Amino acid sequence: MPMIEFPKMMWISQYTVRFAFSEEISQESFLAVQQFNRFIRKVLHHKVVETVPGYFTVTVYLKGRQNFNEDELIEQWRLIQTERMNEYPSVGRELRVPVCYDEEFALDMERVMEFTDLSPEEIISLHISKTYVVHLVGFLPGFPYLGELDSRLHVPRLTKPRSLVNASSVGIGGYQTGIYPIDSPGGWNIIGKTPYPLFDVRKDEPTLFQVGDIVTFYEITKQEYYQFIQESV
Amino acid sequence: MKPLLKVTRHGVYASIQDKGRFGYRAQGIPVSGAMDRFSFEMGNQILNNSTNAACLEIFHGGFEFEALSDHTYVLAGAGGDYFDNGVKIDCWKSFRLFKGDRLSIKGTVEGSILYLIPQGGFRVDPILNSRSNYPTANIGELLEVGSILYGHDTEPIANTRGLMPKFRPQFDSSIEIHIFKGPHFELFTQESRDSFLQDSYQFTGGNRMGYYFKGEKLVLREKKDIISEATQFGTIQVPASGDPIVLMADAQTVGGYPIIGTVHEEDLYKIAQLRTFGNVKFRLVED
Repeated sequence: MPMIEFPKMMWISQYTVRFAFSEEISQESFLAVQQFNRFIRKVLHHKVVETVPGYFTVTVYLKGRQNFNEDELIEQWRLIQTERMNEYPSVGRELRVPVCYDEEFALDMERVMEFTDLSPEEIISLHISKTYVVHLVGFLPGFPYLGELDSRLHVPRLTKPRSLVNASSVGIGGYQTGIYPIDSPGGWNIIGKTPYPLFDVRKDEPTLFQVGDIVTFYEITKQEYYQFIQESV
Repeated sequence: MKPLLKVTRHGVYASIQDKGRFGYRAQGIPVSGAMDRFSFEMGNQILNNSTNAACLEIFHGGFEFEALSDHTYVLAGAGGDYFDNGVKIDCWKSFRLFKGDRLSIKGTVEGSILYLIPQGGFRVDPILNSRSNYPTANIGELLEVGSILYGHDTEPIANTRGLMPKFRPQFDSSIEIHIFKGPHFELFTQESRDSFLQDSYQFTGGNRMGYYFKGEKLVLREKKDIISEATQFGTIQVPASGDPIVLMADAQTVGGYPIIGTVHEEDLYKIAQLRTFGNVKFRLVED
């Protein structure tokens, strides 16, 4: 693996530093972000409240005002990459997520058909044929931004967002797909629903998805969907 | 567990807040916490509370409570019309409510946010290490008429304690706040950058997630899709309308609008306390 350049550092505020790789959404920037995120959490752990990895950024929230030497960080980053690469393996969990694409849940299937010129069967098959990576979690608690969607399924978001999208609805928007963790307004095209809950504050790990998880979908019938729901109650 | 107050009249908006919920932003869970951290901390200090004691954060007023037991409190934050059985109560000075008393938080006059803090803090079960309400994700229960707020048994403070007037914050309707340049600052036209740093912007309304401002429109040099990235309390983002939004304590963790700047942490309480139609000037932090 080639050396990853040290990202550009910028102070966002007194207590926040942003590290940015080249501005793009790609597998390379995803891996760079994951690796740098682990690196910074390790080398600055006593100075850091938390970090938020993005598509090409790692934002670091510090415990109050902190000084650190950028040159030192650059040197540590170089060393870690040349000598101790294996210390930062980036293996995400593999999650298989059931989705019911029945018309009861697929509120925007017709809109997607219109934009893509595909049948519902083709749309479903393209959606489940890909392996996705959770690039980031945000917008709502536990909302996974999953990339990359098959280019044939790229459909713009709704011009007027829905005032209510039900929790666990599966949507596509632009080059991404995602699942709404809680009832909320939203503008993605809804093509199905998973019986899995994505967000539960009573759990130690309140969110189902974590950055770096590897996700595949499989289709279930409406009957199986309701079976899942019943069994999990 | 000691019952302290029963809500007898519900006003504009109130929520239980402590310092906030840290460590969950990477999972999309906002920090929340007190909007005016200065008043929150000073109020707790007046009562010798722990620095993270849970308080009730009240927007604008309209609330009434019945005291269910004798207890010591302080009001911190916006000045306004607040009464115990019809007798005016001042902010920044501890006071005692006796069982059966009627506490009336009629309305804020200077500033918009008031903290009602009992000695020892309110007793609320923490969720993900914080007692801050975040109703969007059903974290914590919001008050309604009839809700009871619980506290801790504490020895009453012998004397009235307070903050001397010269140390109390002033909440003006026209403020200047310091900001840092945002990651997308350079993407705006020179004209917009100048307006942003020189003109005044009017607060048109908002809530714990964001405050909306109007002024000279802020426009990008060329249309560009911004890749979503982390945001925070104080992020100044600019949607296509050209009117800036300052993200507040319940800020979503990630945003996809261009970020023109970020409010300096020490000035956050000033912007939080703005009243509708108040004005703000954004000044660049000098390095």
